Amino acid sequence: MKIALASDKAGFELKNYIKEYLENEGKGYEIVDLSEEPAADFVDSSVELSHAVLDGKTDRGIMFDEYGTGSAMASNKIHGMVTANVTEENTAHMTTEHNGAKAIAIGAGIVGKKRAESIVDEYLGVNYAGGRHQIRLDMLEKLY
Amino acid sequence: MIIALGNDHIVTDTKIKISEMLKAMGHKVIDVGTYDHTRTHYPIYGLRVANLVRDGKADYGVVLCGTGVGISTAADKNQGVRAALVADTTAAKYAKEHLNANVISFGGAVVGEHLAEEIVKTFLAADYLGEDDDLVKKIDAVEAKDNPEQHDNPHFYDHEMKLWDEGFYHD
Repeated sequence: MKIALASDKAGFELKNYIKEYLENEGKGYEIVDLSEEPAADFVDSSVELSHAVLDGKTDRGIMFDEYGTGSAMASNKIHGMVTANVTEENTAHMTTEHNGAKAIAIGAGIVGKKRAESIVDEYLGVNYAGGRHQIRLDMLEKLY
Repeated sequence: MIIALGNDHIVTDTKIKISEMLKAMGHKVIDVGTYDHTRTHYPIYGLRVANLVRDGKADYGVVLCGTGVGISTAADKNQGVRAALVADTTAAKYAKEHLNANVISFGGAVVGEHLAEEIVKTFLAADYLGEDDDLVKKIDAVEAKDNPEQHDNPHFYDHEMKLWDEGFYHD
């Protein structure tokens, strides 16, 4: 599975930490780092990542900024995008299973390193459940 | 203030607690539903709250579903709406002060009753500081297109609901 990472300045250190975590643990993910240098702001990083996922260049994405909420707010403006601002493990897997989340956002000022490890494992470790949840995704897809 | 409140069937009890708190604080609440635990779909209620905020009929919106992800995403996909999903008061305050968020969201099944109340209170008490106009404009400009069909249209989801009633969507 191809995973895009993107970050502004405030999320950059945690982004690099998670990049190393995902690459070095034999997890089998192909990491596409869109922010070798920090983006100017979280709008730029989250929008670039969204297009990478929506265009099929990567399967899922993880966005980093200071609070997470900004990246989610900006990227969810994009038609077809579903980004979850995640601060704990339960939402991390539920949002894949129920929302088919195309990306998650993590606020480096809110979430610590060990929690971030668990969040990305939970997010990436499950699949979208479909079924009754699909009507809600179809409804989201109609917006904008 | 006038607060629009929306939720799905997973978190109706939490919604009622928030509604009672807001009324006790002296706010007027427009509760767009859902009102019971019968299975329904979060985009319906996220869109209703977004319409009220977008049209200036409510000052702010509060939306919750199990994790908050679905309903906040639905609300955010509307012109003039900036919906912030948070799990703590720190991010709630930031969202108002710096992003000028007008809809606050949390996971009703994720955060407890006391934290949920404090998130809403903190969000409403905070003020946009006025320092980030360029950033706010940039967020608003991410999706320049609009779908006029979704604005104040009670029949917007009739097609999906018909398919649902026919059993098209099943586990």
